[in-house]
Amino acid sequence: MAKDYQEVSILMVEDDDIDAMAIARAFKKLKLLNPLIRATDGLNALEYLRGTKDRDPIQRPYVLLLDINMPRMNGLELLEEIRNDPNLKDTPIFILTTSKAEEDMIAAHNYNVAGYIVKSDVADGFIRVIELLDSYWRVVTLPS
Amino acid sequence: MNEDTHTRTSYHREKLVSAGSLHWVHWLVISLSLVLTVGAWSISRQQISQRVEAQFVREAAQSVALVKERMELYENALWGGVALIDSNAGLINYDQWRAYANSLRIDEVYPGINGIGVIHNIQPHQLATYLKKVVIRRPDYQIHPKHNETEYWPITYVEPAIPNSKAIGLDMAFEANRYGGIKKSRDSGKAQLTGPITLVQDSKKTPGFLLYTPFYKQGKKPASKEERRRKIVGVTYAPFIVSKLMQGTLASQKRQVGIKISDGNDILYDEDSDKDPNPLFSKKVTIDFYGRAWEFDIRSDLSFREASANNQPLFVLFGGIFIDSLLLGLFLFLSQANRRALNYADQMTTELKMQTENLEKSNAELNDFAYIASHDLKSPLRGIDQLATWIAEDIDNKEETLSHLTMMRSRVNRMENLLNDLLDYSKVGKIEDKIQSVDCKNTLESIYDLLSPPETFTLEISGGLPVFDTVDTAFHLVFRNLISNSIKHHNGDDGTITISVEEQEHFYIFRVQDDGPGIEQKFHEKIFGLYQTLRPKDEVEGSGMGLAIIKKTLEYYGGSITLSPEQTQGACFFVSWPKRVSVKT
Repeated sequence: MAKDYQEVSILMVEDDDIDAMAIARAFKKLKLLNPLIRATDGLNALEYLRGTKDRDPIQRPYVLLLDINMPRMNGLELLEEIRNDPNLKDTPIFILTTSKAEEDMIAAHNYNVAGYIVKSDVADGFIRVIELLDSYWRVVTLPS
Repeated sequence: MNEDTHTRTSYHREKLVSAGSLHWVHWLVISLSLVLTVGAWSISRQQISQRVEAQFVREAAQSVALVKERMELYENALWGGVALIDSNAGLINYDQWRAYANSLRIDEVYPGINGIGVIHNIQPHQLATYLKKVVIRRPDYQIHPKHNETEYWPITYVEPAIPNSKAIGLDMAFEANRYGGIKKSRDSGKAQLTGPITLVQDSKKTPGFLLYTPFYKQGKKPASKEERRRKIVGVTYAPFIVSKLMQGTLASQKRQVGIKISDGNDILYDEDSDKDPNPLFSKKVTIDFYGRAWEFDIRSDLSFREASANNQPLFVLFGGIFIDSLLLGLFLFLSQANRRALNYADQMTTELKMQTENLEKSNAELNDFAYIASHDLKSPLRGIDQLATWIAEDIDNKEETLSHLTMMRSRVNRMENLLNDLLDYSKVGKIEDKIQSVDCKNTLESIYDLLSPPETFTLEISGGLPVFDTVDTAFHLVFRNLISNSIKHHNGDDGTITISVEEQEHFYIFRVQDDGPGIEQKFHEKIFGLYQTLRPKDEVEGSGMGLAIIKKTLEYYGGSITLSPEQTQGACFFVSWPKRVSVKT
């Protein structure tokens, strides 16, 4: 069991500092030790995924937490980039956004996202969301 | 469905376009009616000319017939005299002749002749006996004038005697025309005319002639020429003055033709009243008239021309052309009306399209507002809420609480900026624009100062800048946002912003160049969109609306903003500012 178990890395693509802090706090509260990496926008995220600009490429298995509204390259543009990249197209991606817009939701699902989560309920921070994601990557076998 | 409507609309439009000009059908109708007009004109002209010609022919024939008829009347009177003499076995005395002449009532019944008389043929051996007999009643009777012929043809009686006194005793043999005529009459046994002569009793010396009818011995009609010569006794005769004859014959008649009668080269009669110098019709007829060939030269006169001058064909022609012009005018009017309708429809369509575009634009803006309200306004609010939660949780940790409060204030600040920018954006074109003189150099410097840039920054204005009348508030809005961007996004400690102006025909092109990080080519389009930023808002505060506001404002006033495509050091914006701004009210 222990041998099979690989710590899942989390790549959080989020331009808002407070949301990033909130996710980090939720991890802390739930005592999750998964490596948590933050990128500020789509272009920055690609640097981590491809290991460009002298960055170490992120280790598989990993899950992407993706915001939609971001500077330079937004979430949907990043989705397109990833799905068109043969090395990255199998990446499990969760959308984590304030956007309730129908068109964003449809567009995201067209890129085969694993889930579309709206950051509406702030009361408990991101605790429940992170709990859900924790269960997800414990139960689901991720591509490695 | 939509395509159907479109097809139908364009079909109707095409029909209108085609109805907006004259087609072959119109031209066909017009040319057909022109052909009809010309045809009707020509037919009517032909008919009238035929009718006129027929009228002339009728009148000409009538005139000739009249003359002929009248002559026959006189001939009959003479034959009456012959009959009288014949019944008397070739003898006639003065009283008998006078009684006959009186009973004829020449003055009333035979206005064309001067009288009616008897001429005897006297051989030289009979002359003495003859004279003896005649002078019993008229002692001063004399045969005259003298001539060299071997026989005498003296006028024995002529009634009425007084006006004809000069003729009594006149010998026909003295002159060729009179003599020839009488011999022909004797030889043929028929009524015969002399050639043209002047009557001795005509003081005016106008053309005249004599008509003879012969009588023979014992009142018989000899069968052969020889017998006639042997048995001739004399002739009854009548002297004619042509003008008088014609007066009695033709004058009472209303005629529209003139007649000229000639016998050989001699003109007997020529009507000169109402003469048409260039007659419409003329006709020459030669008729054998009691042994003379009379040529009737008949011409239409002025009254004929007047009577036949018929305006009907011209009425037909001009009436037809008038109707054709009306028709053409009607077609032109209709097609013009169609063109006008089309123009009007096109204008309405354009206006509708513009209105639709405006509506779509403002709808899109509304959508953008809804989107921003749901995200960009909400996220700082959520941030504030989040921070408040954390402050409550970490209230004991003073350091962390302070940092959270700082962040909270920045979020409040961000929201305020965003709301301000939203207001600016929505106000473009909606606030009251005032046109006033703008001194570009002073205005740009004061905008720069108001942004309170770091001391290490400089604004360089190169070359002369114009002073011109434009919308002052818009000018401020555009350049405040642009200069503020340059300062905000600068990555160095010291920066320089250079502004210069190039004057074109309709625009001033402002070149705003900084020496900051510049903008990658691939973002050149994106940056003008709403809420677009190139760096996280936590790194550089910004609503992502500055360039959108600039773009919207410039486009509203007919200007534009572009980025220099050349990747130089820093960003270089070109702002086209129209020299003349029209303020929409």
